[in-house]
Amino acid sequence: MLTMQNVSKVYTTEKVQTHALRDFNLEVNEGEFIAVTGPSGSGKTTFLNIAGMLETYSSGQYLLDGIDIGRLSDNQRADLRNQKIGFIFQGFNLIPDLNIFENVEVPLRYRGIKSAERKARVMECLEQVGLGSRLKHLPQQLSGGQQQRVAIARALAGRPRFLLADEPTGNLDSLMARQVMELLEKINQEGATIIMVTHDPELARRAPRNIQVVDGQIADFSLYQKQLAGTEPAVAEV
Amino acid sequence: MLDIKPTISALRRSKAGAFLLLIQIAIATAIVSNASFIVYDRVQYISQDTGYPEDEVFSFSLNTFGDVEDLSQQMEQTEQLLRNMPGVIDAVYVDSVPLSGSGSASSFANLPRDQNEQENYREVRAAYIGADEHIFEALGVEIAEGRGFLPSDVIVTNTRADLPPVAIVSRSFLDEMFPEGDGLGQHIFTGNMGAQIIGVVEKMKGPWLKDSRPDNLLLIPYAEASVYQNFIVRTKAQDRSEVIGKIEDLLLEQYNERVIINLRGMDESKARYNAADLLMVRMLIVLMVILVLVTALGIFGLTVFNISKRTKQIGTRRALGARKSAIVRYFLVENSLVCVLGLAVGITGAIGLGHFLMTEYSLPKLSLYYVVATAIGVFIISLLSVLIPANKAANISPSIATRTI
Ligand SMILES: Nc1ncnc2c1ncn2[C@@H]1O[C@H](COP(=O)(O)OP(=O)(O)OP(=O)(O)O)[C@@H](O)[C@H]1O
Ligand SMILES: [Mg+2]
Repeated sequence: MLTMQNVSKVYTTEKVQTHALRDFNLEVNEGEFIAVTGPSGSGKTTFLNIAGMLETYSSGQYLLDGIDIGRLSDNQRADLRNQKIGFIFQGFNLIPDLNIFENVEVPLRYRGIKSAERKARVMECLEQVGLGSRLKHLPQQLSGGQQQRVAIARALAGRPRFLLADEPTGNLDSLMARQVMELLEKINQEGATIIMVTHDPELARRAPRNIQVVDGQIADFSLYQKQLAGTEPAVAEV
Repeated sequence: MLDIKPTISALRRSKAGAFLLLIQIAIATAIVSNASFIVYDRVQYISQDTGYPEDEVFSFSLNTFGDVEDLSQQMEQTEQLLRNMPGVIDAVYVDSVPLSGSGSASSFANLPRDQNEQENYREVRAAYIGADEHIFEALGVEIAEGRGFLPSDVIVTNTRADLPPVAIVSRSFLDEMFPEGDGLGQHIFTGNMGAQIIGVVEKMKGPWLKDSRPDNLLLIPYAEASVYQNFIVRTKAQDRSEVIGKIEDLLLEQYNERVIINLRGMDESKARYNAADLLMVRMLIVLMVILVLVTALGIFGLTVFNISKRTKQIGTRRALGARKSAIVRYFLVENSLVCVLGLAVGITGAIGLGHFLMTEYSLPKLSLYYVVATAIGVFIISLLSVLIPANKAANISPSIATRTI
């Protein structure tokens, strides 16, 4: 469902050009659960942002469900994000002024779904993450793990086929991290394709497929496994 | 999709800034409504039609300190001298000058004093000016009905009685005195002395535009000379300044033991009389501009602040599928909600303030039209003030959502 061919991303600031992604090639099939690891600054977030159409790329081709993303207008990308993609962020990114219910409702409002159906879907998703009874709470009244579950409910509310998570457990303790991971696995079993960036080798190991990004490219996987096993030194020096 | 409900909930959770803005909008609306109404009222007043060709007429006062045997004769001679000046249409000496701010006024009745018990006895205030038959040409007014003074009507005197036998009045006075419309030819009285109304001038203002009856004026055929004598002269508009320039030398040449003062065009006299009003108009306009600017800046600032506080939220909303237009709309709706509440308070305040000004300072009653127009104006300005920062907000990259913690 996702195909990237020679996708490159160059950030140009006043002094330097940063090649955050170079000739990035990847094929993701429907229903996969992929963990993306790699050293800091290697381009994981950049990859995820391009995959989620949060950023444009400098060159190459990116097809999502056969749609050439490079040809889309800003509005079309916004609509496509809304329909196909659910985001889970390291910092949860709940809207602090809105209560739990309203937060989960946000993507549904942008899709123009009617109030009754919105309500049903929000309830369903909050039940799914086990927070069906906290509708009127504000985000800051919840623990980090609960907030991330709300964020997952929000990502699920639009029934996306594609979930992108950038270090979803980065701000959580290991117990909460495991709960979130279990939730993601369950969601994956129900059919959603998931790409998750993580620094946690334990969580990465639980994912059926691993990719390691080094210096803006996908590193050799077998090499990576040897590193994990400790038989080979780390590749990255950035 | 205006998303009013969640916008309200979000607003209710960050009240302080919104509340300040609301107050600001309310104050601006209340004050600007009234100020614009007062400005309009004053501008109407300042630019009102006086009935005179103000740019053709000028007046001056002649203060005679020399020993003059026959003052009346000398004034007649001076009048003659003026009338013969090239460019002068007509000139006349008078006891007071319209629009000048000084003159005489009295109450006139439709019946002699000894009949004041009668049911239809009525008294009406009017200013009066004494002059000979040249007054109409000199002031540039026409007799609409009846006739003007004949030379035989004119009484040259130094000891005037209460009323001469005839008078010419403004329409406004006539209609107030004789509401049935049969005033022409009737008599008006001060005490038991009556004067017959022989002519009507459609419109001519008295000496005081701020009088309770500024339009009521009587012209009476008294040519009453004094050592402090007023003259009214009319020329073509383009000749006036030239004539004014020659007056002093000419008059002093004729007789030099006198001084000429207050030599100025009728429009200038009127402007002097209204100087305070013009100043008030200007100050009110400055006040309104400042208030509106401060409000616009306040809205602008608050929106900029809100946006900088919410960059991550905006990025997140974009990531969740908000189009740029949805972000702009969000801030417009948010501002409109605050604005509508502010306007509601402001409209109430405007009406209250208007009522206060009416009762305490006897201003005319505030017309609701001004309140509504101001409210619409403030609303539009508030939307415009939001638009610039909101557009900036819409351009926040959705990648902010993943790039900041
Ligand atoms: N907006 C930007 N402007 C310039 N350079 C950027 C920008 N965003 C990222 N970069 C650079 O691009 C490279 C890749 O960054 P990216 O955030 O993708 O790394 P990452 O793998 O997600 O790192 P981490 O594990 O620390 O999150 C880095 O060198 C980073 O400094
Ligand atoms: Mg990252």
